[in-house]
Amino acid sequence: MSQLQVRFFTENAKYKVDDVPFSIPAASQVQDLSNIINKLLEAKHTGHSNVEFDFLVRGNFLRTSLVNHMEAEGISTEEVVEIEYVQRFMAPQPEECIMHDDWISSVDTESEWILTGSYDKTARIWTQEGKAVMTVAGHTDVVKDVAWVKRDGVTSLLLTSSMDQTAILWEWNVERNKLKARHCCRGHAGSVDSIAVSPNQTKFCSGSWDKMLKIWSAVPTDKEDELEEQRDRPRKKQKTEQMGLTRTPIMTLSGHIEAVSSVLWSDNEEVCSASWDHTIRLWDVETGNMKSTLTGSKVFNCISYSPLCRRLASGSTDRHVRLWDPRSKDGSLVLLSLTSHTGWVTAVRWSPSNEQQLISGSLDCVVKLWDTRSCKAPLYDMAAHEDKVLCVDWREDGVRAHFTMSPTRSGTM
Amino acid sequence: MHAVSKSSEPRKTAKMSKSREKNTKRRVVEDDEDQLDLFKENKDEAPQKQVEKDGPSDGEDSDDSDSEESVFSGLEDSGSDSEDSEEDEEDFEEEASSGDENQGEGSSGLKTKQELSFTKKTQGKPQREKLLVKEKTTAGKTVVLKGVAKDNGTVQGEKKSKGQAIPPPQVDEYEHDTSDEEDIRNTVGNVPMEWYQDYPHIGYDLEGKKIFKPIRNKDELDEFLDKMENPDYWRTVHDKMTSTDIRLTDEQISLVHRLQSGQFGDVNFNEYEPYIDFFSGETMIHPVTNRPQDKRSFIPSLIEKEKVSKMVHAIKMGWIKPRKPKESDLQFYDLWAKEDPNAILGRHKMHVPAPKMKLPGHEESYNPPPEYLLTEEERLAWEQQDPEDRKLSFLPQKFSCLRSVPAYSRFIHERFERCLDLYLCPRQRKMRVNVDPEDLIPKLPKPRDLQPFPTIQSLIYRGHSSLVRCISLSPSGQWLASGSDDCTVRLWEVSTGRCMKTVEVGGAVRSIVWNPNPAICLVAVCFNETVVLLNPYLADKLVYNATDQLIASYVEPEEERPQPVQWQVPEIEDSDKGFRLIITHPKSVKQVTWHSKGDYLASVLSDNSNMQVLIHQVSKRRSQNPFRKNKGLVQCVSFHPIRPYFFVASQRCVRVYNLIKQELMKKLMANCKWISSMAIHPGGDNVICGSYDSRLSWFDLDLSTKPYKVLRHHKKALRGVAFHKNYPLFASGSDDGSVIVCHGMVYNDLLQNPLIVPVKVLKGHTLTHNLGVLDVAFHPTQPWVFSSGADATIRLFT
Repeated sequence: MSQLQVRFFTENAKYKVDDVPFSIPAASQVQDLSNIINKLLEAKHTGHSNVEFDFLVRGNFLRTSLVNHMEAEGISTEEVVEIEYVQRFMAPQPEECIMHDDWISSVDTESEWILTGSYDKTARIWTQEGKAVMTVAGHTDVVKDVAWVKRDGVTSLLLTSSMDQTAILWEWNVERNKLKARHCCRGHAGSVDSIAVSPNQTKFCSGSWDKMLKIWSAVPTDKEDELEEQRDRPRKKQKTEQMGLTRTPIMTLSGHIEAVSSVLWSDNEEVCSASWDHTIRLWDVETGNMKSTLTGSKVFNCISYSPLCRRLASGSTDRHVRLWDPRSKDGSLVLLSLTSHTGWVTAVRWSPSNEQQLISGSLDCVVKLWDTRSCKAPLYDMAAHEDKVLCVDWREDGVRAHFTMSPTRSGTM
Repeated sequence: MHAVSKSSEPRKTAKMSKSREKNTKRRVVEDDEDQLDLFKENKDEAPQKQVEKDGPSDGEDSDDSDSEESVFSGLEDSGSDSEDSEEDEEDFEEEASSGDENQGEGSSGLKTKQELSFTKKTQGKPQREKLLVKEKTTAGKTVVLKGVAKDNGTVQGEKKSKGQAIPPPQVDEYEHDTSDEEDIRNTVGNVPMEWYQDYPHIGYDLEGKKIFKPIRNKDELDEFLDKMENPDYWRTVHDKMTSTDIRLTDEQISLVHRLQSGQFGDVNFNEYEPYIDFFSGETMIHPVTNRPQDKRSFIPSLIEKEKVSKMVHAIKMGWIKPRKPKESDLQFYDLWAKEDPNAILGRHKMHVPAPKMKLPGHEESYNPPPEYLLTEEERLAWEQQDPEDRKLSFLPQKFSCLRSVPAYSRFIHERFERCLDLYLCPRQRKMRVNVDPEDLIPKLPKPRDLQPFPTIQSLIYRGHSSLVRCISLSPSGQWLASGSDDCTVRLWEVSTGRCMKTVEVGGAVRSIVWNPNPAICLVAVCFNETVVLLNPYLADKLVYNATDQLIASYVEPEEERPQPVQWQVPEIEDSDKGFRLIITHPKSVKQVTWHSKGDYLASVLSDNSNMQVLIHQVSKRRSQNPFRKNKGLVQCVSFHPIRPYFFVASQRCVRVYNLIKQELMKKLMANCKWISSMAIHPGGDNVICGSYDSRLSWFDLDLSTKPYKVLRHHKKALRGVAFHKNYPLFASGSDDGSVIVCHGMVYNDLLQNPLIVPVKVLKGHTLTHNLGVLDVAFHPTQPWVFSSGADATIRLFT
């Protein structure tokens, strides 16, 4: 078996080659195939510059030699092999290192700014270049999660949640670089570990260690909700020190029997939450009912939902990233397990533009970029961190996807 | 019967035939007694028949017949013209002289009945045979001896006319012969011939003339001479009816022989003719007979029907029992009937064959290799040895050839010894228990069926600078408190390993316990002589504020009671660190533990005095010494999770006290040298104890005071043991640096003993100063185990 009959095709019209079978050495690696394609393209277009390609055989990335891959996949070598080629997703390089003097617990990116929450009880707003623009101080305890709500014009709304059992809705005037706490959302009895803003940016959901999910309005108003609890004087005094008006939840979703570790909105009416009680639950926000439960075997640390492929990705303490179909009603249908991490998977995030890519961060200090078409091994390992990775996020920038991740003590881009 | 009656001549009348025959037979029976039944056929004599029959005129056998003829010669004239009469007379003479039983007959005077007897001597042989033939001769020229007369239905079938050696067709057989006709030469009939003894005649012939006895009777001498000289004597018979001697022909003799040997008289008769089976079982298409069938053959018999119905009725009524099958006659006693064929010790199974004798080796050879031959010293030593001690029972010897080997003198002796051995040696089968060693191992479930349990190290909590002696989890499972020899208490976030707080205390922390009540946020820390209640501010705001209020709401009692310890409210600076209450003991405290309600606190003092255990009530700030006297050095104490029991572990045993009744309930003997740690199952009925001699003892309080199970999995001293609150797990940490997690399922069913399966050895800690793991603790909700080690780290295994 020295030669194989292959036929190349691609979705990208820019790199199309003639649809004729080629006979290539069976031991060809990705680089050899890439050279072939480049030669073909050069023959076609004179002005072609060299492009690195990646190759898919029957939907799986080619990682070894062609013949080994086909042997492993059980593909007959007698027929003409259809090979799809795509432009290689270039290995990410750390572009920027944002040094933080304490652990970063969370990160959220917007088109222009990066918002990070830190264990030093503050959140910060950074520019793309890693310049600190604003420090959001107001929480009395560790900031556990941050989120951008929306941006209209010169003002942006942002949310921070903290271990001090509150989430604060801030209004940031970009031009004047003024920050104002609009609302202090009280009601949780434990640290608010996760917040998520609904797609229509009118509500947000928070998940807390007290096993509750609470839905809040994300629209800033001037009216203060009344707290039911009677507070004594020192607490009232403290409250007056709090920024913003107190806000109470629209709805409380209870059902988890352990701490809620992660929440997200899959659409405007559905909230998905992951918990330490080994379940992922889907909630109907309109009625407040639980719609379905996906049961795993280990604690879930994080979930992410991709509206492109409609899959849930979960990271759990058993070191696997699992893909779920949230629409399946029977509960525990794991579509795929991505196994490569050696520590708890603390963060997972789908690519907002590519339906097959996701990144995961783990306590083993490695961020991995996965492609669901190559489930055996991640596409790239990003071992630039020296400490535990607690959160990751993507950032969309035109065609190329940047991703930002926020580990402890350093944010790298 | 030897006698043959013949009706040779057809011309005779048949008047008296029947009676005569009977008489003849009877007579013959009489004669039989003194006559030999054997005689030998002599072929040479065959022609003599003719002589007898033909008389002197016949020239063939002149020698023999002449002598006889001469005897009869005188009679021929005197008597009738028939030959018979001549012979009769001759016989008469003979009989008279011989003095036979026939003498009577001769005296009767009746004529025609003759008995003929003569003896004959065979050639050159001493054997003599006498043959008696009853014979009837006809008057006239022919004498026919009919041998087949009786056998064949046609008596007259065979006939030979005298003087004619001519085939039968010339003579009409039936001309003067009838079937019932008798040979009548003497008409006296069937009367005893003795009646004619006194008469000169022996009867009357057909014409009524007397038949005279022969003139000259044969006397003994004549008889003897005749016997000697006459070669036909053996075949000569005497006819009493006619008193004639009749010489039997060859045919007649062969006939007699055949009859004597039980054969058929007729030579030509084939007794083995193929049998034609007319009435075979086969169904023929034609009837055997042409006779029409009887009516009764196709009408059912009424009588039979009646009989059958009677029998049927009798069977129905039970009067007739069905015939029992006949039992076989042979009855054997079954010697082994009572033997169980499946018995393990059955005779057939217990047979032990005699052990085989050892095969001869080289030393037994007649020509052994020289190394087998004993040297002189060896031989002397052999001789001096006791016969029982000898290695060889004989001396190997060398012979030049097999021929010169002498007989083995000890053969019989050795045979005897062998038999004696076999007899005396008890040969019994050893009952071997055939057990697969695998079966003896208790059937434990596989560890992977006992999931979940911690399997891998997930997080390391770094920050302490010295060995971490004790750890404790907050009731919610969110926080971890640890106390170290670097005189700090650290509070960690479990999920990330973030150290949230570090509290400096005044000494190496010996024990740290989080208050088990979730509504109270307090950590009891003991160092030196002090127990500090610390509010870490790590909980719901309401909870830790409520805790502060609870402690602040204490009102001093009116009368001051003497306390064994000193309760203090901390100074401002200590209060800022979170200290809420300081309990100062007279001696250093080595352990502190909370009651599950969170109000009572027990502390153990490292002192050999009477005050080793103190119980404090936080809300009333009161302390008491529950035991007036402590037996031994108390290692650790623990409250029962539900009932008011108090466990006190001393060096060798665990004492269980009822706090309400104030009495000792149980004393658990740990069977170890020095108990290091103790944990109570959340159900309250099981206790585990770790000891410094690397054992873990599981006590079931419902069972005995001895350990239910002792696990010796660790290689070094155990430092800490812990039960999980929800999962059936317990863990032990040891100086060998490992944490062993065991599945310890306690069933609600009282009949089922706890199931203890070691599931995982967790390694991670590095040994520092020969110390490994110092404390273990389980996460309250997850199957995670924390271990603190001498390497200043805390590790989380999930």
